[in-house]
Amino acid sequence: MLLSKAEGKMALGQHVRVFVQSSPARMAVIISVLLFAITVAINPRSLNLNSFSSILLLTLLLSFASAGQTMVLIGGGLDFTVGAVMSCAAILTTYIMGGQDGNLLLVFALAMGMGAAIGLLNGFCAVKIDLPPMIVTMAISNVVTRLSYVLTAGTFSGYAGPAFVESVVGKILGFIPKLTLYALVLVPLVFYLLNRSRFGRQLYLMGNNPTAAQLTGVKVNKIRILMYVFSAMLAAFAGMIGAAYMKTARCQIFDEYAFSSLVAVIVGGTAFTGGIGSFAGSIAGALLMVTLSNGLTVLALTQPVRNLVQGIVMVLLLIMYNRARAVRQ
Amino acid sequence: MIDLKRAFARFRRSPAFAGFTLFLFVVILNILVQGPGQFFGMRNINTLFSKNMPLLLATMAMAVLLIAGTLDIAIGIQLALVNVVSIMVMQQWGVSLLVGFALGMVAALVASALCWLFCSVLRLPAMLASFSLIYIVRGINVLIMPNPQGRIAEVFYKTYDSRILGFIPFSAVFLILVLAIWAYLMRTKFGRSIYAVGGHPRNAFAAGIDPVKVQFQAFMIKGFITGLAGISLTLMTASGNPLQAEAYGLRSLSACIIGGLGFGGWGSMASAVYGTGFLVLIQNAVYYFFDLLFKLIPGFTVTSYWQNLVSDIIIFLGLLMTIVTAKEQREALKQGFVKQFKGGDSVAKQG
Repeated sequence: MLLSKAEGKMALGQHVRVFVQSSPARMAVIISVLLFAITVAINPRSLNLNSFSSILLLTLLLSFASAGQTMVLIGGGLDFTVGAVMSCAAILTTYIMGGQDGNLLLVFALAMGMGAAIGLLNGFCAVKIDLPPMIVTMAISNVVTRLSYVLTAGTFSGYAGPAFVESVVGKILGFIPKLTLYALVLVPLVFYLLNRSRFGRQLYLMGNNPTAAQLTGVKVNKIRILMYVFSAMLAAFAGMIGAAYMKTARCQIFDEYAFSSLVAVIVGGTAFTGGIGSFAGSIAGALLMVTLSNGLTVLALTQPVRNLVQGIVMVLLLIMYNRARAVRQ
Repeated sequence: MIDLKRAFARFRRSPAFAGFTLFLFVVILNILVQGPGQFFGMRNINTLFSKNMPLLLATMAMAVLLIAGTLDIAIGIQLALVNVVSIMVMQQWGVSLLVGFALGMVAALVASALCWLFCSVLRLPAMLASFSLIYIVRGINVLIMPNPQGRIAEVFYKTYDSRILGFIPFSAVFLILVLAIWAYLMRTKFGRSIYAVGGHPRNAFAAGIDPVKVQFQAFMIKGFITGLAGISLTLMTASGNPLQAEAYGLRSLSACIIGGLGFGGWGSMASAVYGTGFLVLIQNAVYYFFDLLFKLIPGFTVTSYWQNLVSDIIIFLGLLMTIVTAKEQREALKQGFVKQFKGGDSVAKQG
C-alpha cells in the first residue's frame, strides 16, 4: 500500500517533468499567466491597461536582448556582453542624439558598427584563440563598461530624441506600445535567420554536433564568429530601444540584462548543450521574467524581500529545467 | 646544474607556472614604475597585504571549489554577509566583536552549505545556481542591516594594520593560516579525494569515493576561508555595508583562471595566490604609471576612469596570455567550463 502510494507520487513527479520539458515555452506562458492571476488576486487594482502595456513593452525589450543570446546558446556558446553592449549602445544613442531626432540614422549605423566590432572580438577570442566563452566575454564586457565610463565620465549624457522616444513608448489604441511595430520587423527577421536561412540550419547542426557539422562541410568557425556578431548587434539594437524607453542613459544601466536574458532563454527551453531551442521559447521566457518582476513590484515588497524571492524562484526554475543526472546512474 | 634544470622543467609543467610568469612580469613592471626602494618598502608591502587580503582569501576559497570541480560565484556577497552579521551582533546584543566574528563565520558556513545543496545534492549547474544565491544572500544582508552603519573599536583595525616584529604584515597571518591548513589537508585522504572528484566524479565514485561528501568538505573549507575573508574585510573597512564586495565573486574567478587553475582536479593554491597578485599589482602599476605621467607631462590630466580602463584591458590581455603560458591545460579548462554551465557531463541530449 505504502509502496504503491510512493510509486504513484513518483509517476506524478515524472508527469510534471515530462510536461515541463516537452514544451518549456508553453510551460513558461502557463506560469506567467498564473503569476499574473496571483498578482491580480492579491491586488485587484493592478489589472489595468497601463500594467498590460508596460508588461508588453518590457517583454519585447527583453526578447530583443535575448534574441542574440538564443542564437549563441543554440550554437553552443555563451555571450555575457549583452548587458554591457546594451548599456554602451544606450549611452551612444543619448549622447549623439542630444535631445534631437536628426541623427537617428547615424546613431543606428554607429550602434550596429559598435555591436559588430564587439561581436567580432568576442567571436575571435572564443573561436580562434579558443578561450572559454564565459570568461572571455565577461572580460570583454568589463572593458566595454570601462570604456563607457571613460566616454561619459560616469554621468548622464544627453537625451533620446522626442520622436524616437514616441516611436517606442507611444501607444496605439491607448494600450499597445508602438514598440510592437519594431517587433513586427525584428521578430520575423530573427525567425528567418534561425529557422529558414542557411545560417540557422548550420547553427543548429553545429550546436548539436560540431564534429559532424564540420565533416559535412559546414564552416564551423565562420558560423561561430557570425553568431557572436549577430548577438552583439541585436544587443546594441536593444540598447537603442532601451535608451528611448528610459529617455536618458548612464553607465551600466542595462547590465542586469546580461543575466536576465540568459535566464529568459533557458526558461524558454534553449539548452546549454547547444542545438536545442527556439526564439519563441525565449519570448515566452522573457514574458515569465517580466511578469515575475511586475508581480514583485505590484505587491510592494521591499527591495531585500524582492531579491530573496527572485533568487528562490530562479533556483526553483533551475530545479525544474536543468538538473544533471546523478553520478550513480 | 642538471638538477636545477630538471627542477625548472618540473616547475614549468606545474599548474602554477602560468600564474607565476604573469606575476613575475607584473612585479618587474611595478619595480620599473615605482623604483625598487619604494615598491619593497615596509609601508608599501604592508598596505598591499592589508588592502587586498579579502580578495586574496576569496580567491583561495574559490580555488578550493575549482579543484573540487564546482564553483560559487556568490563568494563576494558572502563576504558582506560575514561583515553584516559581525557588526550587527556586536551592535544589537552589545557583545564583543569577536563573538560577532564567530557568528559571521557560522553564517559563511551556512551559506556554503546552501550552495552545496544546490550544486552537489540537487545537481544544478553551479554557475547559475550560485548566481541565484547572490540574490538570496543580498536580500538577507539588507534584511539584517538596512543601510551601511556601525564602527569597530580602534584596537581592532589598528592591530590589523600593524606589523608583527616590525616587518610581517598582520594581515598576512590569515594567509599563512590558510596555507598551513591547506598544506596539512593535502597530506590527508581528503587531499587525494578532492582531486579525484574534481577530475572525474564518476570514476571517483567507482573507486569508492563519495563525490557529494567530498564536495561537502570542500564547501565547508571554502566557507571557513570565506569567513576569514569577511573578517579581514570587516577589519579593513572598520564598518558595515550590506552591499559591498559583490564583484569579488567574478574577480576571484578571473584571478584563479589567470593564475593557471583549471576546472576540476588541476591546479594548486599557489595558482590562486599568483593570480590575485597579478590582478592587484597590475592595478597598482597602472596607478603609479599614471602618477608618473602627471609628473612628467605638465598639464596632463585624465579621469580615474582611464586607470580602470587600462587595468581592465591588461587583465583581458592577461587572459589571452594564458594561452601561451598554459597550453596544456586549455582543453581541460574548457571542458570544465562546459560542465559548470551544462550541469554534469552527462546531461547532453537526455532532456
